[in-house]
Amino acid sequence: MIPICLKVNGEDCPVQVKAHWSLAFVLREKIGLTGTKTGCEMGTCGSCTILLDGKPIFCCLKMAVDAEGHELTTIEGIENDGVLHPLQQTFIDGHGMQCGYCTPGMIIAAKALLEGNSNPSEHEVRLAIGGHLCRCGTYVRIVKSIMDAAEIVRNT
Amino acid sequence: MTMETSVIGKSLPLLDAYEKVTGRLKFAGDMPPLQRMHHAKVLRSPYAHAKVAHIDTSAAEALSGVSAVITYKDDITGNKKTCNSPWQDFSFNFRGPMISQEVCYVGDEVAVVSAVDEDVAKEALQLIEVEYEELPAVFDMEESMKPDAPQVHPWGPNVLDPSVFEWGDIEQGFKEADYIIENRITLGNQQHAPLDRNACTAHWEGDRVSLWTSTQALFWIRDAVTEFFELSPSKVRVYSSPTGGSFGLWWGNNFMFLAIAIARKARRPVRLILTRDEVQTTVKRRERPLIDVKIGIKKDGTMVSQSFRHLMDNGAYGNKFDPYQSVADIYTTPHGRAEFIGVSTNLLPAGCMRGVGDLTLAYAIEQTVDMAAEKIDMDPVEFRLKNHWKTGDICHTSQEVLFAKLLFNKEPEVSLTSSGLAECIQKGADKMGWKEKWKGWGKPSSVDGYKIRGVGMGISTHISGLAFFGFNGITIKVNPDGTMALTTGIGRMGQGGDTTQAMVAAEVLGVELEDINVIDGDTEVVGHTMVTFGSNGMHMVARATKAAAEHAREQLLEFAAQELEANPEDLDIKHRRIFVKGSEDIGIELKELMSKPIYEYLSAPEVIGSASKGVEFHKAGKMMIADFAEVEIDTRTAQMKLIKFVAYHDSGTIVNPAICENQVAGGYYQSMGLCTTENLIFDEETGAILNPNFMDYKIMGPLDMPDPDIYFAEVYDEDGPFGAKGIGEGVTCAVPIAVANAVYNAIGVRFDLPITPEKILQALKSKVH
Repeated sequence: MIPICLKVNGEDCPVQVKAHWSLAFVLREKIGLTGTKTGCEMGTCGSCTILLDGKPIFCCLKMAVDAEGHELTTIEGIENDGVLHPLQQTFIDGHGMQCGYCTPGMIIAAKALLEGNSNPSEHEVRLAIGGHLCRCGTYVRIVKSIMDAAEIVRNT
Repeated sequence: MTMETSVIGKSLPLLDAYEKVTGRLKFAGDMPPLQRMHHAKVLRSPYAHAKVAHIDTSAAEALSGVSAVITYKDDITGNKKTCNSPWQDFSFNFRGPMISQEVCYVGDEVAVVSAVDEDVAKEALQLIEVEYEELPAVFDMEESMKPDAPQVHPWGPNVLDPSVFEWGDIEQGFKEADYIIENRITLGNQQHAPLDRNACTAHWEGDRVSLWTSTQALFWIRDAVTEFFELSPSKVRVYSSPTGGSFGLWWGNNFMFLAIAIARKARRPVRLILTRDEVQTTVKRRERPLIDVKIGIKKDGTMVSQSFRHLMDNGAYGNKFDPYQSVADIYTTPHGRAEFIGVSTNLLPAGCMRGVGDLTLAYAIEQTVDMAAEKIDMDPVEFRLKNHWKTGDICHTSQEVLFAKLLFNKEPEVSLTSSGLAECIQKGADKMGWKEKWKGWGKPSSVDGYKIRGVGMGISTHISGLAFFGFNGITIKVNPDGTMALTTGIGRMGQGGDTTQAMVAAEVLGVELEDINVIDGDTEVVGHTMVTFGSNGMHMVARATKAAAEHAREQLLEFAAQELEANPEDLDIKHRRIFVKGSEDIGIELKELMSKPIYEYLSAPEVIGSASKGVEFHKAGKMMIADFAEVEIDTRTAQMKLIKFVAYHDSGTIVNPAICENQVAGGYYQSMGLCTTENLIFDEETGAILNPNFMDYKIMGPLDMPDPDIYFAEVYDEDGPFGAKGIGEGVTCAVPIAVANAVYNAIGVRFDLPITPEKILQALKSKVH
């Protein structure tokens, strides 16, 4: 076991890990943040997307030991003092989800997009979630929810 | 019939949306670990058919951290067959013993290990020594039906007794026909491929077992566990969490029962989470059909006879003898015959997937119907309008008829509650711009250099539940502040079933949706509810939900009548307030009523509404579907691209438009997968699946297709609560038909699914030569 300290959603999380454990596994199983989903564990579905220093990554492909010293943000960390992020609110209001399994990854990817570009075209939104699968086929309303959130972000 | 509603018909947010966007929603694999919990891993067969001649688990058992190992030697359930009650041997989720000495497909369970963590469990798997004695295997349905074919599994024949439906005089029907059109189709192997991975945790306390899993079938799982482990239902408690997409996958699956078995042996809670590879290669797939169709028509386009023979590849387990059809009735003919035969092969077990039966058979029927219309050069829209199923028509091939015969030896008549097909076909054609785009049979709607476009359409139907899924027992408890708790066994898998049931209750009780808290997923707490499949939620389960709400409403009005010194029948509830009809200023807030002591009792009232209702089966509600596609084929690259898609559906009253549109869009994406890229590839030599992940089994992504245009017909189904019918499954059924028929009109070739660039290229080449 290797002792490391991960910084997740602004908190220091000391944790003992094995060298081969993925960041996704450690976040879920050792730190208890199960909002990050692991649909494939091989970087093909996008459900495990988190932010590493503000950039979206598939954390199933990142070793936990390599994540030390970075700022990690998961779906549990994007509310602000109990107030939902505009993306969370527009996903709720606009039905940007069905089963909800891909939702955390979609919202995280969209957050990264809006932080760099608060006026994306629909195609840019689709590119930003291009590596994310939604088996329920909710893309129409996911894209709409992201566009609606972008408008809120622009106006605030 | 129209009605004024305050909740029904609004796109209100999902009740669990907040949990979903914050990551708080717990799927089975997100369950917090239980004290002393161990983790299980499964050793699986590398052979499609073999006998375990020798197995030595001693080294695995000796490994530090391993708590239990089970193999066929544990004889967990004797020879008992695991399946869903109450239709034991002829059920569709049938399989043999939980772990058999004879493994019947690549991926079949050979041993299960539980250990302190997954790493140790994996290490232990490698220490198990197995010698297999290979047995002959068969992968092809027609080969499997031959008398000298290898026997797929030891407990039964490869071919099940056919289920046959006949009406009129089929031979006479074909004699009366001016033209007879015959066709044979098959499809690829689609897998449910939910993003969520199947998971469950089992825990024994003495002789009681608890199971936590994602499922929409909690009562069937309870009954199955009761059966295999010879327990009273009072000793089995199933907690079901939402599924990360089910599409038919998360029923009673063998991995759940294995978790229970190993938890018993390990004497501690055990969790089993499947890998992505295991989800796609060991749980289930859509049964692949091989369908022969024969249709007889008159010169004027009247269909007079139809005959279908539908083979279903059940794989190594599964026992389907009937595919939930009703689409064999989509055209009303005086003469017909439909035959369904389940066939076993040494491949991944097959079973229901979204749109089951109707999707496969509709694909066969609708291609052939197009061929028939072409024969007499009639527009396909016109042909369908002339022959389609109408309100009150008989459902000759209803599964209720089959079950009435099996269970009671009776042959009742079942009729259709409502059909909005005419509206769907006509208006859908308008939305597609059919009149402008349709240029005749096998003729492109436009040609632009290398790019050829064509249009096509297809219709289908699907059940809105089936009566034999069982009774629905629902309760609604009113809290002192006027909020309510609704208990239901309806499964949550993205279809918003909890939300729409609560909308029905809120409508009846005059409260807001957010006032209702849905308590689901616990067999000890909620009443028996139909397994959530076959799109039964709105049309069937909601009848009990509505009745329970009405029961609660009666009690509320009684208490309010005393308080207001009025007659209960003169009262109404709206916006959380009970008032005298016509004198609305005389009234009482629900909150006040429920918290104010009544003089006689010196206490505030307690209101619990409940209802337990079976569904009378003689009238069947079906959703109706007309889909239209415009495709473009690039003759240089042989790529097929969808240009426009129109879905015009009749699901009766649309209770929540946003939910329903999401369902239709979902069916479109999934079926386009089946149409183009989704196909499990079985190795011809070994029967192993070669593409067990999202890299090689491609499902549609956000950049792959245009948004569909979605419309709903205005139909009020008199038998459905507030006029509603089902929606979830039928949305998949007509998509491939519309696309394949459009491809035909673009390039003049018909294909089995999936329609790949390779096939298109081959077809274009052969047309040139």
